[in-house]
Amino acid sequence: MDLSDRIERFRRLVREWARGFYHGLVSHPAYEKIEKEAEDIEDAFILACFPDAFGIPSPVSYYTAELLPFLEDEFEAWERRLWDRGSYLERKGQQYHF
Amino acid sequence: MEPFVFFGGKGGVGKTTVSCAYGVKSARAGLDTLVVSTDPAHSVSDVFEQSFGDDPQSVQGIDRLDAMEIDPDTEVQRHLDGIRQSLSDQVSAAMVNEINQQLEMAHQTPGAYESALFDRFVDVMRESDPYDRVVFDTSPTGSTLRLLGLPEFLQGWIDRLMHKREKSIDLFEKAAIGNNEPRRVMDGDPVLNRLRERKEFFEFASGALQSDAAFFFVLNPDQLSVNETRRAIGEMADNDLAVRGLVANKLTPEPDDDEDGRGARYLRDRVATERERLAEVRESLEPPLVAEIESRTAEVKGSLLDEVADELAVETAAEAPTFVG
Repeated sequence: MDLSDRIERFRRLVREWARGFYHGLVSHPAYEKIEKEAEDIEDAFILACFPDAFGIPSPVSYYTAELLPFLEDEFEAWERRLWDRGSYLERKGQQYHF
Repeated sequence: MEPFVFFGGKGGVGKTTVSCAYGVKSARAGLDTLVVSTDPAHSVSDVFEQSFGDDPQSVQGIDRLDAMEIDPDTEVQRHLDGIRQSLSDQVSAAMVNEINQQLEMAHQTPGAYESALFDRFVDVMRESDPYDRVVFDTSPTGSTLRLLGLPEFLQGWIDRLMHKREKSIDLFEKAAIGNNEPRRVMDGDPVLNRLRERKEFFEFASGALQSDAAFFFVLNPDQLSVNETRRAIGEMADNDLAVRGLVANKLTPEPDDDEDGRGARYLRDRVATERERLAEVRESLEPPLVAEIESRTAEVKGSLLDEVADELAVETAAEAPTFVG
């Protein structure tokens, strides 16, 4: 293995680490943030569909019930997130992993 | 006149009688007519002395006339069963229980009856093809008004739901880095599809109600009934629906002039009061009074129905539906 190969290998390693570093520091938290936002909107959607679950009578739940068969994942995730939610601040800052 | 004719009014004023009489009148005029009743008391069956179910059935002895009775209980159950069916096709067994709870709750809300009736109404209007005229005998005023106000209200709601759903899917798609599969995909999303179908359904409903339906209120010549009619006309206007005319029913017959017994005096007094009420109706309510029907001493059935039909000065000629969805 000559010098140029070793330099090439080293550069590849640095590039990989740099990408990983950037990913961990910038892009992943950013995407996580977007995903969180999507989840929050989805929660709002489910709540708007089924306010009866909180004892708020809704004139549309007769119709939104038609969506239930297609909302399996959403429904489960929604319940999970409801259990898991601490404060609003904690939820919004979760991607920083303090 | 419009192909769909609705008769509404306070409980007990004679909506069913008037609807059936108008159905008979339309049928005698040569129109293929369907009378639809939503009254859980099955009064249409009593008028024609024949039992009707959920599917149109021809009325014996009257050509071109069919009738059907919608039972809200059955409709709610049918809706529930439909969802249960697709639930068991789509959802894992573990979640079925969880979701079933939601489902039952949704079908016990106070609005479920109205929604079920409304759905069926709209279905009947959509599939009114074999008939020239469909006459709706509606349930008492309050719930009918809520029913007719539904499409507008629900359209707004569905729009908001669709907007939320689109936004969250959009974000999920953006959050899928590199070759990751996004958690939700906009293309062919079954929830959005379902919401869109519903939206179209409500659009058809409000279009048909606005442009292909005529509304009449039946009232009795007493203060309560007149007051309720006035309120109802106001609420209809709030929903952008015009009331075509009013039918005064159960008018007291006037005694002959030479009679002066206790009964005759009673009748004369009543007739005087009722005239005042009717004068009030003519002056203060906008829709014209299209018929004044006297009380009968027996239940209105058979040949009496024809008599009442003759007293109904409502035109029968039907236009084809303009709003076809």
